[in-house]
Amino acid sequence: MYNFEIITSAIDHFLHSVMPAQLAVITECVLIAVCTLVAYVAFAIVMIFMERKVCAAFQCRLGPTRVGFWGLLQVFADVFKMLIKEIISINNSDSLLYRLAPYLVVLSSILTFSCLPFDKGLQVLDFNVGVFFLMAASSFGVLGILLAGWSSNNKFSMIGAMRSGAQMISYELSIGLCMLTMVVLSGTMQISEIVEQQVDGWFIFKGHLPAVVAFIIYLIAGNAETNRAPFDLPEAESELTAGYHTEYSGMHFGFFYVAEFMNLFIVAGIASTLFLGGWTPLYIKGFDSFNAIMDYIPGIVWFLGKTFFLIWVLMWFRWTFPRLRVDHVPTLEWKYMVPIGLVNLLIMTICVVMNWIF
Amino acid sequence: MKFSETYIGGILFASASLLTGLRTTLKEFFTPKVTEQYPENRATLKISERHRAMLYMPLDENGNNKCIACGLCQSACPNSTIIVKTKNIVDEESGKSKKVLDEYIYDLGSCMFCQLCVNACPKDAIAFNNQFENAVFDRKKLVIRLNK
Amino acid sequence: MNPIFIDIKEFPQRMQEYKDLKGMDFLRELIGMDWGEEGLGVIYILENSDTHENLEIAIKTTDREHPTLPTVCHLWSVAELYEREVYDFFGIHFTDHPDMRRLFLRNDWVGYPLRKDYDESEAINPVRMESEITEDVQREYEIKEEAELKKINAQTNRISGDQYVINIGPQHPATHGVLRFRLALEGEEIRKIDIHCGYIHRGIEKMSEKLTYPQILGLTDRLDYLSAHQNRHALCMCIEKAMGIEVTDRTQYIRTIMDELQRIDSHLLFLSCAAMDLGAITAFIYGFRDREKILDIFEEVTGGRLIQNYNTIGGVQADITPGFAKKVKEYCEYQKSKIKEYNDVFTNNIITQLRMKGVGRITLDDAISYGCTGGTGRASGWACDVRKRHPYAIYDKVEFKEIIYKRGDCYDRFKVRIDEIKESIHIIEQIIDNIPEGDYKVKTKPIIRIPEGQYTAAVEGSRGEFGVFIESHGEKSPYRIKFRPMGLPLIAAMHKILKGTKIADLIAIGATLDYVIPDIDR
Repeated sequence: MYNFEIITSAIDHFLHSVMPAQLAVITECVLIAVCTLVAYVAFAIVMIFMERKVCAAFQCRLGPTRVGFWGLLQVFADVFKMLIKEIISINNSDSLLYRLAPYLVVLSSILTFSCLPFDKGLQVLDFNVGVFFLMAASSFGVLGILLAGWSSNNKFSMIGAMRSGAQMISYELSIGLCMLTMVVLSGTMQISEIVEQQVDGWFIFKGHLPAVVAFIIYLIAGNAETNRAPFDLPEAESELTAGYHTEYSGMHFGFFYVAEFMNLFIVAGIASTLFLGGWTPLYIKGFDSFNAIMDYIPGIVWFLGKTFFLIWVLMWFRWTFPRLRVDHVPTLEWKYMVPIGLVNLLIMTICVVMNWIF
Repeated sequence: MKFSETYIGGILFASASLLTGLRTTLKEFFTPKVTEQYPENRATLKISERHRAMLYMPLDENGNNKCIACGLCQSACPNSTIIVKTKNIVDEESGKSKKVLDEYIYDLGSCMFCQLCVNACPKDAIAFNNQFENAVFDRKKLVIRLNK
Repeated sequence: MNPIFIDIKEFPQRMQEYKDLKGMDFLRELIGMDWGEEGLGVIYILENSDTHENLEIAIKTTDREHPTLPTVCHLWSVAELYEREVYDFFGIHFTDHPDMRRLFLRNDWVGYPLRKDYDESEAINPVRMESEITEDVQREYEIKEEAELKKINAQTNRISGDQYVINIGPQHPATHGVLRFRLALEGEEIRKIDIHCGYIHRGIEKMSEKLTYPQILGLTDRLDYLSAHQNRHALCMCIEKAMGIEVTDRTQYIRTIMDELQRIDSHLLFLSCAAMDLGAITAFIYGFRDREKILDIFEEVTGGRLIQNYNTIGGVQADITPGFAKKVKEYCEYQKSKIKEYNDVFTNNIITQLRMKGVGRITLDDAISYGCTGGTGRASGWACDVRKRHPYAIYDKVEFKEIIYKRGDCYDRFKVRIDEIKESIHIIEQIIDNIPEGDYKVKTKPIIRIPEGQYTAAVEGSRGEFGVFIESHGEKSPYRIKFRPMGLPLIAAMHKILKGTKIADLIAIGATLDYVIPDIDR
């Protein structure tokens, strides 16, 4: 089993040995911030490319093939284009809020991103109420979207923002219930602890039926949280042209775009942490040699493998289904997912109390 | 009440329909793709013979066109795409003055490919060919003199 | 065709009688006319939706200064837009019409372009650089004294100022072209709607009055570009009928096959675009992938993919290619297997069903009153297929079902089209192997003149009845030509069905009504 704490603590010791303690802490903070941002952007680029290729494959197309071999440089070209585009300011818009909104959205997703346990010891934020923090951080992204719609002085944006507000706030409930279900199973809210517990068996196997139900609800609600089809009503290009970010251009639009993709990554990452064991390898009881081989695969590969598989599944959803109507979104949430989630939580609690878990 | 209208039945029915959709797209995920990679496939690209891309004047073996400058194509054209400019030359043998084609001007930019000019031509002096790569940077370049 | 002229005074009552007593409940066409010295007038073509009996009525007024005629829009709802069109082009006021605004042209347009004395000079109507001010006021006229006309009776705002008004279009991904809806919203719900057409109006009817008949043919493909074949077929049929040309059997077979291929093409585009409007982009690509195969066949035979220019007066442009039958049969087999895929990925999907079922219902009476022919009418239970009502080409020799659904909601409209693809394949399969030998074209005179008179012809276009009306004075070009738009009645019906629905429903309804803007605007 690899442990990244060896590396991180080595760096820590080194910094403390060459500079005073306070300066070392500040240097570490800067280092971590840089690493997080670089990782954030790197994953965003990978995901945008993946989305284009996966979507193309579902639609009998090839996707980008021109820029670089197999279209590999396409995303860089897009990012470059976005960077050199003018950021337009709009008459009669609330210019402070208008400019603030994209940063809020990105900030929320970066905070959530730093909660993800990539490997043992490779986690930026980890404390005893980690799950709680995660939810809090992820839920203020909606503020940015609401502000964007409100401040654009555009009726389409306004409708998009209102839809988004209604949708994200209600689906947070389902996400919360699913997470709570897993917290009941694990008995802790610390994310690293949750992963540690899954070394001898992923929660989706340990928790059997209630865990599987929670997993499915989580994927649906997570999809709605990220405003992706079939829940892309806030954008709904055939209804509202581009919804809340209609008026944004250049890198401001880019922030929304990147944040949307990274939210998808985060949803998939949390799902793989809570249900599929995070960085823990797959063990099958009794197959010791198999388990030993699995041990050779580093934890970060396990984590990213699971996460990208889930991302692929979510893209599969996205490119299959039509968009829901605005009144069906709350119906699905309040009539189906919340009651089922509540019952599921109850079942999970009973299972844990009666010790019916594997 | 049908089973599919009950709460549980509704969920099952809906899930089944969604799974059918997922199965279909998954199947397409692995089927060969249909994208045509133009212009890389120029060599294998098949354009049908009848495709109307651009008017041209077929030449006979001596390199002359068959146009007799009658102007029927010009009057058949709904868009004034064709302008036939004529000149008079004196026939050496008979000494008579004869009207012949001077310039055959064709404006690709306003052509709507209705084929009326080709139909109107009594000598089959004009026809459509397959050269569809007609993008230019300047509209003026679309005005072409067809006779060489 | 010989319309009966009715005196203005008797007109409202007589029309009422025709509708109530003779059951003439379908207003096929409403044609504005300018007979020069004899005055301005309107020709109505009525049809009994049960017996398919037709009746042509005409009415005219000699007053060119303030021509005023009684409206019929309380009898046939579709007349509301048709009369606005006539007002726009001929300047005829219809008394008691609730909304006498221009339909296609700008509000500041000077003159009435389809009048024979219209001044075309650019000084009068220059290209205006400032944007048009939306006219929100609708005026109603009534006859004050007999022929002493025109007093503004009522003046109401279409959409009042304090509502949340948004514009869907003219540039909007879901209007499939340049059409503009002004919507007054309350939350997500639509309270009022105002439709603005004319953003792609090219004046084809006006242009045609100066072109020769073969030249007009080139323009028909550009009306509804997804019914290019059928539009051209209708005009060719009308001219052939007028000139007494008998086309060969081979031509008829080829035309029928091409019409049906065009219908499949259009319906495939319809279902792909409907899927995309509802957010299922993958289904959109699947439809387009298969449509490409039809376009390949078109390209091989006609030389054009979208604009084919295939039918000509007296036949078709060129004979079918040797491999045509084989290719079409291969395609039919392929297409049959793919329909299941569309159903799996889109139609049977629970989200699609929820969005379409029960949304945007058009009742049978409304469908007839609004003249919503084609798939939209048949989804409401109206057997309105021209191929059955007034068979042309060889539709009376082939066996096919007229697809009829009952509920008239978006889902039925969608299903009608999917089933019609199957039916069209069925028609093609019956005749593809039996194309008779013979000439593909009969010889016509080099210059085509139609004998004096009025002629009509209609075909079943991809999205409804496409009609052609020609009045000829024996010249090389028509005195007046009128194309019955397939889309305008559908747009007219939107008024009624949109109230109280949501923005998302507007998209679903617009997608399933399946209108094509160049056909509405002409």
